[in-house]
Amino acid sequence: MNSVRQIWDDANESKMSCEVLIIGSGAGGSPTAALLAEAGFDVLVVEEGRWVEQGTVVPFSLDQMEQQYRGGGVTVALGLPSIAYTEGRCAGGGTEVNSGLYRRPPTEVVERWRDRWGVSDLDPDELMKTANEVETDIHVTHLPGPASVPSQLLRQGADALGWKHDESPRWMTYPDGNPRHGQRQSMTRTYLPRAAKAGARILTQCRVNTINISHAKATSADVSLANGQAGTISFKFVFVCGGAIQTPAILQRSGLRKNIGQTLAIHPTVKLSARFADAINVPDDVPVHQVKEFAPDLSFGGSASHAGLIALSLLDQWSDFKGAIEDWRNMAVYYAAITSEGRGRVMSVPGLVDPVVTYRLTARDRELLRSGLSRLSLLMLEAGATEVYPSFRGAPIIRGRKDLALAQKRFSVNKASVMTVHLCSTVPFGENRQLCGAGSYGLVHETKNVYVNDASLLPDAPGVNPQASVMAIAVRNARHFIAQENPHA
Amino acid sequence: MLNNSTNTPLIITGAAGWLGRALCSHVALNAERLDISQLIALVRDSEEQVLVQSSLPKDNKLDLRIITGDVTNTSDIDRLFASSPSAFDLVHTAGIIHPKKIAELFAVNETATKNVMQRALHSGARRVVHISSNSPFGNNPHTHDTFRADEPFNPYLAYGASKMGGEIAVQETVSQGLNAVIVRPPWFYGPFQPARQTTFFSMVKSGKFPVFGDGTQRRSMVFIDNLVDGVCRARAWEGEPGRGWWIADTQAYRVSEIVETVGRALTDEGHIVKKNRLRLPHLLGQVAETADGFIQRTGRYVQQLHVLGEMNKTIACDISSATVDLGYVPAVDLYEGMRRSIRWCAQQGIEL
Amino acid sequence: MALAPSLHSLVHPTACTVLRHDLPGLPETVAHEVATFTVRRLSVLAAHMRLGIAVIALLVRLFASIAGQPRLLWLSKTHLPLLGEYFRLIRSLSYAYIWEKWPDTRSDGSPT
Repeated sequence: MNSVRQIWDDANESKMSCEVLIIGSGAGGSPTAALLAEAGFDVLVVEEGRWVEQGTVVPFSLDQMEQQYRGGGVTVALGLPSIAYTEGRCAGGGTEVNSGLYRRPPTEVVERWRDRWGVSDLDPDELMKTANEVETDIHVTHLPGPASVPSQLLRQGADALGWKHDESPRWMTYPDGNPRHGQRQSMTRTYLPRAAKAGARILTQCRVNTINISHAKATSADVSLANGQAGTISFKFVFVCGGAIQTPAILQRSGLRKNIGQTLAIHPTVKLSARFADAINVPDDVPVHQVKEFAPDLSFGGSASHAGLIALSLLDQWSDFKGAIEDWRNMAVYYAAITSEGRGRVMSVPGLVDPVVTYRLTARDRELLRSGLSRLSLLMLEAGATEVYPSFRGAPIIRGRKDLALAQKRFSVNKASVMTVHLCSTVPFGENRQLCGAGSYGLVHETKNVYVNDASLLPDAPGVNPQASVMAIAVRNARHFIAQENPHA
Repeated sequence: MLNNSTNTPLIITGAAGWLGRALCSHVALNAERLDISQLIALVRDSEEQVLVQSSLPKDNKLDLRIITGDVTNTSDIDRLFASSPSAFDLVHTAGIIHPKKIAELFAVNETATKNVMQRALHSGARRVVHISSNSPFGNNPHTHDTFRADEPFNPYLAYGASKMGGEIAVQETVSQGLNAVIVRPPWFYGPFQPARQTTFFSMVKSGKFPVFGDGTQRRSMVFIDNLVDGVCRARAWEGEPGRGWWIADTQAYRVSEIVETVGRALTDEGHIVKKNRLRLPHLLGQVAETADGFIQRTGRYVQQLHVLGEMNKTIACDISSATVDLGYVPAVDLYEGMRRSIRWCAQQGIEL
Repeated sequence: MALAPSLHSLVHPTACTVLRHDLPGLPETVAHEVATFTVRRLSVLAAHMRLGIAVIALLVRLFASIAGQPRLLWLSKTHLPLLGEYFRLIRSLSYAYIWEKWPDTRSDGSPT
């Protein structure tokens, strides 16, 4: 290790040590690292992916998927239908690659978590105060000017139907005041540099295979380094912050299985592309408006829409839809996301490097996805779309209201491209031992020093972009840990 | 915004039907307030003519003209409009929900509606109110969902498809210049009810009303007088043609709540009501729906199966647009409406 | 990555056949480039997915060698579980690559 550089990937020591090991550098791990380092703990952050500077890859491109996503962006929860999901795998995790939209968890959701899962001292007002601090740290703000045309079309369609909508703020700065020139305030721009400044070391391309636990106490982690060598990191405490898929997988590989990886929650999403009379496509950004008329059950928003992604959205009924691709500049992709009652599993299988993920949609989820895609199609017609192309096999081209009946009749979730970018709830926190894998501050039940502090803790899907929930809870838990284990006490 | 300065004749198709008779009765009683100079009722035969006449108050002073004819017969429709004044309003209630053969649904609810709208356009109708249904929009995707004023079509079986066809016909004629609006009542109840509604009371009374699952599925309902009020307000509304409104109670009710309320209304009207014990699994509702769909594809129709198949669904609608646009506020609640319905049955000598 | 060479031999010819059929205007060299990209992406998938794809790809190749190319195309249009997802994965990666790299490609694959 180069003692001067605090962010490095060329570890040549097979044995390292620290006071607090933080596994993962996303929305959970980075704030945890910053707060603990600032409190005086000796922190080592290990990240499986690379450090990729912003601006060196095109947002939402295949290149970005290759460099910053797990499995090149192709990861799947098996089931009927299988559900494609994405996981960031880079320094900063999902915050480097997502749409940057920010939503506080609704108060009733926090109350539900507190009451049903028995999360101690989870006060919605206190959590919102913490969220407020996070919002300052990552510069949560609205656009300094008009939204992009695809975003405005979403708003117009909702207005025509009398449906509620709003502009989701983003954690962005706009140095020149141009809403098109936002700079995302992801973890590599905010909490990770802060952690490094406070003395934390950040080791990238380091994969944690297992945590060695004896008599409920973890002592070290076996890792694989960038050079392919194995290593061991010893520690006093460990925070597992690898996200809702990797965190339970690491815990399971380490022998911890009770209520871990059994209750994966997601926001399943179906899509369509809408074609307009004029050029509206914005290849490198996503709409900021979201339609919340049917929230929390159902939300509508816009997706990344460069030509490659338009082609992808037309793929399921390519024989009828293919002509539209030549008009991609007049098109944009939109989604309908639901709050699912179904649940999935993350299973670490001996001999396999990656966990097997499954997900089962309920009958209610399926009906809601059908209804969601149809309502979204209606909204696009009201927004002025000349043609709507729903992403499912056998879909008709929707040119008018009569076609919506045909689309609903033909729709089946099993024929649709269902995907999600929001994954959580694989190690739910709380004192209800029947339901929870970790305690009210993330300490894994039946361990003395293994903490979880990421999206895995959220007891169920919040119905909104979960990053705000993840960060506020991570900060809350980190502060509780500092109060309990203050190194200067 | 309401416009009451029309003094216009009103044509009612399906005048001898449940809603048609309630509307005739209301118009006859309130002709002056509604500024209606003449009521022209389309009925199919002399039997229906008697039904319409019996629905009017004994001292009726409103000019009533009865035209005998069938909406499925274009020459009858021509005759209806040929004999009408140059300016008139039309409430198109004619429809069929429980046919002998599926083809009747489309003949009445779609084709006849199309013909009526076209004739109304060319005969100079001032305002047309088309009575649709919840069925073109199917069921809510889950029990907490509520249909907004504007929803995508998702017709429930053949009846839904035929009523959707009717709505599309109306909208197409609106685009050609017809001043028409649409009223969509969900499950309605009240005086002038047909025999099948008497069965509803009897089932609740005997504790044998089929409740699926835990009875938490929700249904919007509307007392017929509230519906008639909504129709009259839609007739008088001055706004863009093509608009549609749900006319129902403010909130949808859980099925268990409906059964409990009807039971209470029956008890308070002096009936002995047994505790409802008929709980059916959801699967049975799905089986009934599937069987209904299968039989309908063969062109036949079994009313009991159709009703059973629909009973485990949530059909809930949001009336806020009707409140904002029309000033519609349901005046009679479920309990009071049911009591009035029970009393009406008693007055008619109908045994529950 | 150990499976990459075998995946290439199993998937690349199938991907080329599918692309030639779906996008007859796609130049042959481009089809090869796209298929190579697709195989490269498949080779970084999770191990169990790679394994599953290898098995299906092998069965598809065997089927194609016995039944011939037209039958392979018929197979690519079926929607059987796993098999359908295999062809969908090939098409997803290929189409995304083509239109991201050459956005003005015509719907038959021919360059503008």
